[in-house]
Amino acid sequence: MNISLLAAASIGTGVMMLVAAVAALVVKKLISAIIIVGFVSLSASVLFLLMDAPDVAITEASIGAAISTVIFLWGRGKIGGEE
Amino acid sequence: MTAETMFYWSLAVTALGLVLIGIWGVLTKKNILRIALAFTLADTGVNLILVWSGFLPGRSAPIVDSSVTSMVDPLPQALVLTSIVIGVAVAALFVVVGVLAARKSGSADVRRMKELRW
Amino acid sequence: MIRTIVGLIIVLALSAIVISSISDYSVPSQLLGAGRFYTERGVDDTGSVNLVTAVVVAYRGLDTLGEVVVLFCASTAVVLILTLIPIGANPTPPSSIVAFTAGVLPGAIVLFGIYIITHGHLSPGGGFPGGAVVASAFLLVMLGSNTIPGKSKFLASIESLAGLTFGLLGFWGMLTLGQFLNNLVLPAGSPGRILSAGIIPIISLAIGAKVASELSGIFASYRKAGGEE
Repeated sequence: MNISLLAAASIGTGVMMLVAAVAALVVKKLISAIIIVGFVSLSASVLFLLMDAPDVAITEASIGAAISTVIFLWGRGKIGGEE
Repeated sequence: MTAETMFYWSLAVTALGLVLIGIWGVLTKKNILRIALAFTLADTGVNLILVWSGFLPGRSAPIVDSSVTSMVDPLPQALVLTSIVIGVAVAALFVVVGVLAARKSGSADVRRMKELRW
Repeated sequence: MIRTIVGLIIVLALSAIVISSISDYSVPSQLLGAGRFYTERGVDDTGSVNLVTAVVVAYRGLDTLGEVVVLFCASTAVVLILTLIPIGANPTPPSSIVAFTAGVLPGAIVLFGIYIITHGHLSPGGGFPGGAVVASAFLLVMLGSNTIPGKSKFLASIESLAGLTFGLLGFWGMLTLGQFLNNLVLPAGSPGRILSAGIIPIISLAIGAKVASELSGIFASYRKAGGEE
């Protein structure tokens, strides 16, 4: 693939991820934070794909983005929303 | 600065930024689930750094084919594969212990959890 | 407020350390050491086309065995701690969309998971992601029903059987070829075929079954402890 296209993709995804990571920590509602962290995991799997690591990308997409989101949603259901 | 350098270093900056944001969240947040989320963010960043350390631009994925001549390092990818699974197991344990502590102290706020003081 | 400032100062100091340590790092031009060894010898040694699976299952199989033990300990701890929380009431019934999806999709999801597991030595995938996909199908079934899952002998026996298979295959290599988890106790075959790469497909199946059953056990105990209160 074209290297400048790759650079644009990695920079765009990276900026999006960092903004989303800060947003996940400062946003008011806990459920929004959980969904945003799932989005960060999904973007991380895109970065793994750009780094020629398809095995890691598929694992991160199925485990990091799906299963850990479910785990945190369960915890939110047991504890309740934000303070 | 060439496009290849930008590509290579933007990946490292993203990963390191994610780790630092996660550490900041663990240090400053009060809700126990929010701390667990920050911990997961730092975990993702560390995995990105590990994969990046074995990455060489312009090579192909470590799957051997007759047309493939050079590939990236498979060892960090294999280690990160196990690290992701351990990460989710640790997160599950973290959430369960956090839920138990929150039920004992009646609040998800870590400042109210006297059992965790030291 | 003071907590935020102190946290920010610590993070800034950390980032200064990190930046100073990587400032003289240059892009490597070729692989050295273990990575070079694996890329040059991987296919001849193991018969696996996907070198990541070759490293995970064959070269570093002992590490993977330890990792599976860590996963087992974590899931056991989750189940143990959740017995301290009283069992919740029957969960709220699922919406019609979830109920319909849970009736249609799980078969296809399990099939996809098995595909990922069995083609681990040919294409991206292997035991870990495939097991997670199978576990997510189990989760979907559980969300679609409005009863609490009971005790399951089936899950526990699958898990034990998978762990036993992993260990026994390792000792087989030790007895015949003198190496724990040597994968050439079965013929390597021709690389690229589904029945090749020695015992890698069997161990992938064992890892997949173990990951799937352990994550499913975690989900089932979560469901037992109840959702919203």
